[in-house]
Amino acid sequence: MTSARRAARRRADRRRRLTVLALLSPWLIGFCVFVLYPIMNSLYWSFTVKRYGKPARWVGLGNYRLLLENDELLLALKNTAYLALIGLPIRLFIALLVATLLARPRRGNGAYRLLFYVPSLVPAVASGALFFFLLRQGGPVAGLLDLFGIEAPLWFRDPAWTKPALIMLGTWAIGDTMLVFMAGLVDIPRSLYEAVELDGAGRWARFRYVTLPMISPVTFFTLLTGLIGVLQAFDAAYVFSQGVRPGRLTGEPDGSLLTYAMLQLRYFSDGRIGFASAMAWVMFVLTLVITLVMMATRRRWVHTTTDGAA
Amino acid sequence: MSTVLVATEQPARRTAPVGASRSRRLLFLIGRHAVLVALALMFALPFLFMLLQSVMPITQAKTTALWPDRFEWGNYREVFDRVPLATYFLNTLKVCVLATIGTVVSCVPVAYAFSHVRWRGRTAVFVLVLATMMLPYQVLFVSQYQIFTELGWINSILPLTVPAFFADAFSIFLLRQFFLTLPTEVMDAARIDGASELGVLARVVVPLAKPGIMAVAIFQFLFSWSDFFGPNLYLDSDDSLTLAVGLVRLNTALVKTGESNLTMAAAVLFVLPILAVFFFAQKVFIEGVTLTGTKG
Repeated sequence: MTSARRAARRRADRRRRLTVLALLSPWLIGFCVFVLYPIMNSLYWSFTVKRYGKPARWVGLGNYRLLLENDELLLALKNTAYLALIGLPIRLFIALLVATLLARPRRGNGAYRLLFYVPSLVPAVASGALFFFLLRQGGPVAGLLDLFGIEAPLWFRDPAWTKPALIMLGTWAIGDTMLVFMAGLVDIPRSLYEAVELDGAGRWARFRYVTLPMISPVTFFTLLTGLIGVLQAFDAAYVFSQGVRPGRLTGEPDGSLLTYAMLQLRYFSDGRIGFASAMAWVMFVLTLVITLVMMATRRRWVHTTTDGAA
Repeated sequence: MSTVLVATEQPARRTAPVGASRSRRLLFLIGRHAVLVALALMFALPFLFMLLQSVMPITQAKTTALWPDRFEWGNYREVFDRVPLATYFLNTLKVCVLATIGTVVSCVPVAYAFSHVRWRGRTAVFVLVLATMMLPYQVLFVSQYQIFTELGWINSILPLTVPAFFADAFSIFLLRQFFLTLPTEVMDAARIDGASELGVLARVVVPLAKPGIMAVAIFQFLFSWSDFFGPNLYLDSDDSLTLAVGLVRLNTALVKTGESNLTMAAAVLFVLPILAVFFFAQKVFIEGVTLTGTKG
């Protein structure tokens, strides 16, 4: 009797496991074929000299040592740091500013929200072409500045101005960040504001001591995804530099638009698969380090509510 | 047009402050509007210039003119003569439709297994799924490219569509978030009535989660439409390109001739379908963005 019941239960368990496996199978197969295998493969290749169609030759840490001595890599990392340290704060600030101004329902806010959101729908290659046209010599921006008697910089000839152009483009496309901030702002309980108002807090104090701490989980999230995004930046920088000098992945002018992903793609296109793999793995590790460092310092500047938020 | 982008629940307007603070309040209101109007102008002008440039006659397009002398609608036809835009359009549509179908078909069961089926190790495996969301494409494509080359898939849409049928982490995550908001009682009731897990999924979860599934479909469609890196990697022959790659090549070629009016006309044609999809499904779309925190 009991053994029969146990057998029946075992059968049911087996059925259940099979069902779960069946439900998961698309992801399981995809994970093995399109994620796990490629990652392991590129890890192996990163320790070899490898060209497609030829066997890999083991060189140990050779590629990684070359990476350390690579001046262009340093340049790409500097460009990335520029975009992260200057571009990202500007984007987050504008997104938070707009979200703060528009979070509460007022007449006309719907139209504003739409206007600020829609640019983020424009694909980076299209906004790249658009901003290349807007900022070019004799373009609309130069024309507008001319009305005020200001001489426009040579955005795409002067290496000092190419990254500000990229940052302007990025700031135009903050719609997603704005939406996430808005959702965070709406979730702040009204009672908190009322409490500090009783203490006589002004507008700034309310923002500083209620709004900022309460949306810090959202800020954390947007900062983290923003940093990872900057590390992978490619499309707009590619469109700009192709406009300056077509057919090359050197980030012209003077490497000012060279991003990490662009340099990696160049080594890949040149058939240096081992080196490109090493670069990819360094990028992966950098992403991990950024994430872990941010997670580790999270408690210091992210306010956590009792329900654990975000 | 004036649909509110984020659903908000707000108590009644706060009572107006009294006395001296009224003038400060007025000052703030004026400041708020000044900032908003200035920013709004900066966000709207690029669109305006794009539209104006797209209908500028070529003689004027090469000058600093801001407003076209006459509206040259023929620019839009001219783009079709310069590049096989109809072919690009068709290629892009094929990629988008197939990738969207693949994503929905593959991610719905996976997300269900991660939300409403109980099994040992579920949390650990889900953390693994989340971790793969962080993977840069760079560590994957170097080896994927070799696989696709050996399969003879270069210059076809297969590298851009087949992987979509094997569930990506972002869509699984988004769908799971939606599924978790569904009432478990209905599912348990179906199970007590003898429904299998697949039956519960097909007859209870999918009908209830239609908005979530729509959001995932729209995200995938827009991602495939906008994607440049992948198509640029796998497509090279002129008749295989998607719009994104075609636009970049057109832009690069026309920078030299100064025909930015044609580039802008092509850009308008490329962006319009996206805006159409967005306006068509705004509510579902916004819900998705705020639920996951990002468009991915």
